[in-house]
Amino acid sequence: MIAAIRVEALKLTRSLVGVVATLAVVGGMFALLGGIVWGIAGGNAELIAQAGPAAALDWEGLLAGAAQITAVVAVLCFGIVLAWIFGREFTDGTITGLFALPISRGRIALAKLAVYAVWASLVSVALALGVLILGLLFGYGPPSGDAWAALGRLWALAMLSAAIAIPVAWVATVARSVLAAVGSTLALVVIAQVGALIGAGGWMPLAAPALWAMSGGAAVTPVQLALTGACALASVLVVWTAWVRLQLDR
Amino acid sequence: MLSFADVGFRFRGGASVAGLTFRVEPGEIVALIGLNGVGKTTLMRLALGMVRPEHGTVRLFDHPLAAMPVRLWAKVGALIEVPLAYPELTVRQNLHISRLLHGAPDCVDDSVQTWKLSGVVDCRVRRLSLGNRQRVGLAAALQHDPRVIVLDEPSNSLDPASVILLREELTRRAQEGAAIVVSSHHLDEVSRIADRVLLMNAGRLIGELDTAGSDLERVFFERIRHDDEQRDAAESAR
Repeated sequence: MIAAIRVEALKLTRSLVGVVATLAVVGGMFALLGGIVWGIAGGNAELIAQAGPAAALDWEGLLAGAAQITAVVAVLCFGIVLAWIFGREFTDGTITGLFALPISRGRIALAKLAVYAVWASLVSVALALGVLILGLLFGYGPPSGDAWAALGRLWALAMLSAAIAIPVAWVATVARSVLAAVGSTLALVVIAQVGALIGAGGWMPLAAPALWAMSGGAAVTPVQLALTGACALASVLVVWTAWVRLQLDR
Repeated sequence: MLSFADVGFRFRGGASVAGLTFRVEPGEIVALIGLNGVGKTTLMRLALGMVRPEHGTVRLFDHPLAAMPVRLWAKVGALIEVPLAYPELTVRQNLHISRLLHGAPDCVDDSVQTWKLSGVVDCRVRRLSLGNRQRVGLAAALQHDPRVIVLDEPSNSLDPASVILLREELTRRAQEGAAIVVSSHHLDEVSRIADRVLLMNAGRLIGELDTAGSDLERVFFERIRHDDEQRDAAESAR
């Protein structure tokens, strides 16, 4: 298992996909938040009207904006990388080399998910740290207790976004395609948005983390949030099963 | 070491192999020849557990494949269709991960020497020619000193010098006791190294080809034509 983790870690760290996705999500967050603050400080009335709670030029406003952006961007970023981690074996044809090994395919799938989890954790920390640095650069002063709590929720939102993207790995495996898996990432985001719009709210695992972070923890109960974690664990089991049963019969 | 007993499998699209029965013993090189699409790669996938047979049994190291301990796969080396060579990694990194996946001790430097990859060892695979990629794939498949070797069209894209290198490597490994199966449609090439040549047509093994005879191509096509005629006649009679 450790050998498989080392192999998967090498593949991700040497790939452009991992590097570009990391830069895109962290740099994108910096650029978007910087742009919003710049526009609001310049008195852009349209932007102020659209930004809602993020229009305030303080920690509360900055963290509200960060949560809104993370809710969409993180799932996209994590889903795309996961689509590549699993789907590339089929697209590149390297899947044949992952048979006839003394490491089972189930363990290889778990190794892929373990490396993904570590990478997503690092990206989540970078996101929260980036927002902290941005707030300090904007001159908002040391964060209050509430601001620290919101930063913690932002980190948790990014982590949970990584968790709800795990079904993408199953789609990549069943469809044998990176593009199909990227498509399923977009579908996850759309389903989460629709779920939030129709009021499914906290009981919808795809939408619960974003609602939780954006409401300051008020709109989602711990049980509802735990449901998201349970769904992620179930997704891991489904992906593992798909790799254990995998046959190159198409 | 490797045996098939009445093995059959059908893809959802309709293509199938059936009645596959043969053995490969230690120290033996068995070549599988046939035209494109007759089922050579499917046979090799069956041998490596990439697809599970619907009929019959594949045995490896005297275990039915489904019940074989996972650790025994460390004694198998294979290259099917695409070399295990990730484009974003260098040649050395690819050989390193192959070694890790096979649970082998450090053998990368020896492998680089054997397959004459010193000049490209630090190049990313995406920048290599097809022939060099194939050599990396062959090195990755063989560097852990497998006892059973399964190679699908191993001389694809190789230059003449690399073909000779491959031939010498396979002959040496067979002399050391490895059981080897290679598929090819180059009759001259397999006749030089194979102890036995199995003919495959329309998803079935139709016999062996005597490589000691002259004009192998004529004999090969004659056997294929005869098999096609027999099959057509049998289908017409139904």
